[in-house]
Amino acid sequence: MAKKEIIEHYTSLCRMCDNRCGINVYVENGRIIDITGLREHKWNHGRICVKGRLGVDQVNAPDRILKPLKRVGSRWEEIDLEQAYDEIAVKIKKLQATWGKRAMSIWKGEALGFLTQEELARRFTHAIGSPNYFSNDSQCYVGRWIGYALVTGNWATQDFINTRCAVIWGSNPPYSQPNLTQAILGAKEKGAKIIVIDIRLSAIARQADEFVQILPGTDGALALGIARQLIEDDNISHKFISGYTHGFEEYAEYVAAFTPDRVEKETGIPADTVVHIAREIGNRRPKISIYAGNGLEHHENGINNIRAIACLDGLLGNLDELGGNFIAEKPDLRSLTLYREKPLRHLQPIGADRFPVLYDFRKECHTMTGMDTILTGKPYPLKGMILSGGNPALTNPNSRKVVKALKALELFVVRELFMTETAKLADYVLPAASYLEHSELHFHPIHQIIGISRQIVTFENCDYDYIFYKKLAARMGVEKYFPWKDSEELTRWMLQDTGITIDDLLAHPEGLEYKPRRYQKYKDNDLLSTPSGKFEFVSDYLKNYGYSYLPEYIPPTYITRPNPEYPYVLSTGARKVFYTHGRNRNFKCCKTAIPNPDIEIHPIDAKNLGVSTGDIVTVTSTVGSVDIPVKVVHSSHILPGVTQITHGWKESNVNLVTHDDRNDPIDGFPLLKSVEIKIKPKVDTSDI
Amino acid sequence: MRFITMDVTKCVVCRNCEYACSFRQAGDFDRDHSNIRVEYYDDVKICLPQTCMHCDNAWCLEICPAAAIIRNETTGAIEIISERCVGCEMCILACPFGNIHFDKINLVSRKCNLCEGEPNCVSFCISGALQYIEAENSYKNNRIIFQRFIDKLSQNNNK
Repeated sequence: MAKKEIIEHYTSLCRMCDNRCGINVYVENGRIIDITGLREHKWNHGRICVKGRLGVDQVNAPDRILKPLKRVGSRWEEIDLEQAYDEIAVKIKKLQATWGKRAMSIWKGEALGFLTQEELARRFTHAIGSPNYFSNDSQCYVGRWIGYALVTGNWATQDFINTRCAVIWGSNPPYSQPNLTQAILGAKEKGAKIIVIDIRLSAIARQADEFVQILPGTDGALALGIARQLIEDDNISHKFISGYTHGFEEYAEYVAAFTPDRVEKETGIPADTVVHIAREIGNRRPKISIYAGNGLEHHENGINNIRAIACLDGLLGNLDELGGNFIAEKPDLRSLTLYREKPLRHLQPIGADRFPVLYDFRKECHTMTGMDTILTGKPYPLKGMILSGGNPALTNPNSRKVVKALKALELFVVRELFMTETAKLADYVLPAASYLEHSELHFHPIHQIIGISRQIVTFENCDYDYIFYKKLAARMGVEKYFPWKDSEELTRWMLQDTGITIDDLLAHPEGLEYKPRRYQKYKDNDLLSTPSGKFEFVSDYLKNYGYSYLPEYIPPTYITRPNPEYPYVLSTGARKVFYTHGRNRNFKCCKTAIPNPDIEIHPIDAKNLGVSTGDIVTVTSTVGSVDIPVKVVHSSHILPGVTQITHGWKESNVNLVTHDDRNDPIDGFPLLKSVEIKIKPKVDTSDI
Repeated sequence: MRFITMDVTKCVVCRNCEYACSFRQAGDFDRDHSNIRVEYYDDVKICLPQTCMHCDNAWCLEICPAAAIIRNETTGAIEIISERCVGCEMCILACPFGNIHFDKINLVSRKCNLCEGEPNCVSFCISGALQYIEAENSYKNNRIIFQRFIDKLSQNNNK
C-alpha cells in the first residue's frame, strides 16, 4: 500500500483515436505507468479499448524522438531546439520572399491533438499569409460531413442509445470508434434492430439482426432503392416532407427507377432483402439512427452516395429526433481561425479551383493536388511545408508520388513522436508532444458535454502545438496572432463566451453539459443550415457549380467498364483494433497480436489463384504494385472478387496501388475502396 | 460474491478482453496467455466468450493433488497458486468448460483469478458483453442471456 501512496492520479481524455474516452492516468516518479477507463465519463462508462492503454507505450516509447534533428546530406544531426526554430524561420522567410507567401504550407495530422490543434494550424497558415492549410481531412471524415451538410446543413450525430433502429453503413465501430459499440448494443438489448451494411462481415456485423453484404461503391443505389420502397409503402413522414424539405417531387421521381430488381443488379443484394430492410427501417420511424462510415467516401461517386443516404432522413423524419440523427449544438467556443479577419481565397488555396465545394464547406486544401503542385510548380510554386503528426507517405494515395513530392520540397519540417516514413523525408524533424503532454478542449456532441485533456507529463524539447506556433510566429514577425502565454491562457480565451471556466471542467471529469439537448430545433427559429434553410433533397448550390442537382447514382468504374487485366476489386482501409491509420505499428504488443499485413480474399478466389493463407502475392493496379501475404477468410466474410487490405503498413503499403487522380468530382476524395487490381502469386525463388 | 457474466448477443469478438488479460498476465498481446477466450463461429454465426465460472463445487479445486487451487475468500475466485502447481494438468482435464490452459514456458496451469476483484477483461470490453456483477443479479442475468443465446441459435438455424 505504501507504494500506491506515491502514485499520482489524473483524469483526462484519450487521444489514441477520435473517441476521446474518459481516462484515469497514473503517474509514478514522473512517469506514466497506467491508463484505465474513467468510470464516471458519460461516453465510455469506465471502459476503454487496448488501443487506449497503448497510450502508456506511446508516451514512454524507447524509440520516441526526443532531440531535434537536422538533415545534413544523408545523415541526421542533433540540433539545439531554439536554433532549429531560428533556422526554420529564416528559411520560411526566404522561401516566401522568393516564391510568394503561398509557397509555404501547413499540414495537420491526427497523431498529436484535435480541435485546438487543427485551429492553431489554420491560424498559423493564415498568419504567415498563406492560404495553404492541408490535413488528413481531404481524404477522411470530411466527405461524409459534406455529403450530409449538402442535404441537412450539418452532419448529425447518431443517438444510438435511444434508437429503435441502428443502421451502421460502411463502418466497424468496435475497431474504429470502440465505445460507440456499447451504445449500439445497449440499444439492441432494449429491442432495437441493428442493420449493418458493409462489403465485409465486420465485427459489428456479427451482432447485426440484418447483415447486408453490398458490392463496393454501390451504396447509393441501395439508398435510393430503400427510398423508393419507403415512398411506395407510404412509410414516410408527410409532416416533415411538406413542412421542412426542398425538392421532394423531383427526388421522388428520380428514385422511382430504383426498383428492388434494379437495386439487386447494381448492388448484388437480393431484391427481397431491399424491400425487407426498407420496411424494417421505415416501421421504426422516427427513432432511426443511420451512421454513414468511412467506407462510403472513398469512391468516384462518394458524395452522391452519401447524399442519397442522407436523404433517407428526410423521408423518415428522424432528423434531430430523440433516438434519431440528432443535430447537436456546439459550445460557444471562440474560434482561432482567421478566415474572417484575413480571408485568403484570392490567393488560390490549392485545390479550391478543382474542388470548390471542399473549400467552401471546410476550408481544406486538397492534399492530392498539393503533391502535383509541388512536382509541377503549377499553378504556382509550393516549396515549403510544416507537417505535424501525420504520415502521408503511408496514408495518402499513390505513395510513390507522395514521397517524390515531399522530397522535392525546399523546406520540409516534420513534428513527430516517431521516425515515420514521412519524417524520414524531412529536412528538420522536431520532437512533438503527445496528447498526455498538452491540454486541449474536447466535446462529445451526442451528450453535448465538454471536457479538458490535461498536461500530465512533459519532456524536454517536446513543445506542444501552441508553443511551437507561438515561438515560430515570434521569429516570423506575426507574434500578434499568438498573444497567449501558454495553452492555459489560450483555453481561457476560447472559453470566454461560454460561461465555463477551466476549473469547472476540471471539476467535471465526466464531461460538463454545456447546453441541454433540444430536439426538432428546425421547427423553432433555427432553420437548417442549408442555402434554402430546408432539408435539401436536391441542391441548387451544386447545380450552380455544374454538379448533380439530385443525389445521382453513378455505378463504379469496375462495374461499368471492367478491365479484364485487373479482374479483382480492392477495398482498402478496414480498421484493426490497435491501429489508428499508420500509427502504433512500432509497439511490440501489436506486433505479437498481428505480426503482418495481409490481403483478405474469398476462398473461391484463393482456389482460382492457387494460394492459401500466408502465401505472398503481388497486387498490381494501374498505379503500382505491392507484395503482401494472403489471408483466406471465411466465405461469408467477403464477396468473391472483392479483396481488402488495411492501410498503414510500411512492410506492405497498400497506397502504392491506390489512385490519387481518380477523385469524387465534388469533394475530390480519392478512389481507395474500389480499386481494380490483379493478383499474382509470387514465385518463391529462394529454394530454387 | 461477484461474477463475470457474458452476453453472447453483445460480444463482437473484438478480442479486447483477450489482449487486456494477456497484457495483465504477461505484458503482451499474446492470446495464448489470456485466461478468457472469445471465438466467432462462422457457420452458426455465434460469438462466444469463455472464461472461468468459479464454480461452487469446483472440480479443478477438488482434483488438484498439490492443493494448489484455492478459493479466494475476498473475491470468491478459484485461484491457482503457481508456486504450488506441479504442472500435472489434472485440473485442465477436470474442468468441464475448458477454461484452464497450460503455460508451456513456466509449466503450470493458468486460469482466471478475477484480477483481485477488478477483472481487466471487463474494463476493456467495449461492447458491454462482459459485466462484473453481484451473484444474485448474475444468476438472473445469465438466464436472460442464455435465453437470448437460444433465441439467436434458433433464429440463425431458421435462416
